[in-house]
Amino acid sequence: MGRTLTFKIFRYNPYDDGSKPHIQEYTLEETPRLNLFNALNKIRDEQDPTLMFDFVCRAGICGSCAMMINGRPTLACRTLTSDLPGTIELYPLPFFKMLGDLSVDTGVWFREMAQRVESWIHAGKEFDPNAEETRMDNKTAVAIYNTERCIECGCCIAGCATANVRSDFMGAAGLNRIARFMIDPRDERGHETWFELVSTDEGVFGCIGMMGCDDVCPKDIPLLDTLAFIRRRMTAGS
Amino acid sequence: MNNIKTELYPQAIRGGGKKSEAYKKARRALIAELISGVTGLLLAGFIFGHLILEGTMLFGKDLYEVVAYYMEHPLPLAQISAFSIGILFFVHFVYASRKIPARLYERKRMMEIGLSIKKAKKRWSQPKSDIMLRRHRETSLWIWQVRTGMIVLACGAFHLFLVTWNIFTDMGYADASGLTAKIASSRVESGLWILYLVLGISVVAHLAIGLYRLAVKWISDTWFNRRWAYLLCTVIFWFYVILCIAGVAALAGKLTLIEIPVGDLLIRS
Repeated sequence: MGRTLTFKIFRYNPYDDGSKPHIQEYTLEETPRLNLFNALNKIRDEQDPTLMFDFVCRAGICGSCAMMINGRPTLACRTLTSDLPGTIELYPLPFFKMLGDLSVDTGVWFREMAQRVESWIHAGKEFDPNAEETRMDNKTAVAIYNTERCIECGCCIAGCATANVRSDFMGAAGLNRIARFMIDPRDERGHETWFELVSTDEGVFGCIGMMGCDDVCPKDIPLLDTLAFIRRRMTAGS
Repeated sequence: MNNIKTELYPQAIRGGGKKSEAYKKARRALIAELISGVTGLLLAGFIFGHLILEGTMLFGKDLYEVVAYYMEHPLPLAQISAFSIGILFFVHFVYASRKIPARLYERKRMMEIGLSIKKAKKRWSQPKSDIMLRRHRETSLWIWQVRTGMIVLACGAFHLFLVTWNIFTDMGYADASGLTAKIASSRVESGLWILYLVLGISVVAHLAIGLYRLAVKWISDTWFNRRWAYLLCTVIFWFYVILCIAGVAALAGKLTLIEIPVGDLLIRS
């Protein structure tokens, strides 16, 4: 009926001294509408219980299953095997700390990034729970929503040439997060604070414009537009 | 629960007073970015004009002589440009090259990840699922921008030196000072056509990719998005590459489109 798929999967357990990085092959009969989430689970259930990979939501929301699929960082749960040739190569995302096989730790990096960019609304006013909520125009709300669609899968960082050679670079995910608070009228951080944070070689001016982030973002977040917005905002305010 | 304090991180709200070290550092990064962009833009503008004026040779020696004459009269525009472009050229090199990683393994890693994303297009079928598979060209473009930049640095420095020497001195020959069709042609005929072709094509490729990158970096969220920028820069590239090749052929005396007899306009002694 279906094709026989060959999976070439990168195997390595950094916590096992005897483990050597190598590629292991598995074969699997393709079924209709098979996605990589199901395929990998099937391989683990039926062929190799030691295979390590991350999944949570299987719906492109949690961002855990990002991996290099035939050379491209993207989400495994949203990838149908029918979109791929008979041989599928799977590698873990580069840049992030490796946990084993296809599993990487994106959480630590994202938490550090959130702390670095102080990823929360900075408001000096005392909160009055009885007061009416401050109104926000629709355009601003949509712009904030667009940046907030980020699921922190790490594909933009894995696909970023600068981040791959400079671990201190904020990457598109970090800059996107900053833009989210920059747009928000409730955040009271002034231009100087943003400027110090973002107008650096670790921030927006470290970007060399290879646009890997925008090309691979599985959520189609307009990262390029966000970066252009930040650049202009930094220039205009100074 | 009525008094939830949100002043947890007051250190993040600053303003006024003396500028901090972080602010100064950030300003330096911004200025460096602006210098590399603006000098690139100015140089691109200069090259646009330069190649068009050079291309007047396609309409005969007479027109070229008229253009060359007005480049030096009444104002010594050629001398001023050679001098100022020389400065811009090196300033642009210093500020634009800061983005090129110093270590070889870093450059290799950048290429590896970029080309992996680019080649993935061929390793995937056209998706029927909801994931977009965009074409990734920018890594190759960036690599070519660096390569052509290096060629322009070497050949352009030589060209600038030769031209500056040429327009400021008589180069040891009594009639060889200033801009004339004869000198330009003799340079091309003496074998420098190879240099001019390599330099011309490289400089056009470098500026087309550079303009595309500038547009994408600064205004891609306006109506002039990435697609328009790519289209415009492709048109610019091909127009100027053809103009450059034709111009070199014309200077070598191998090509003339139409001879425009404007020699009478020239009031040269």
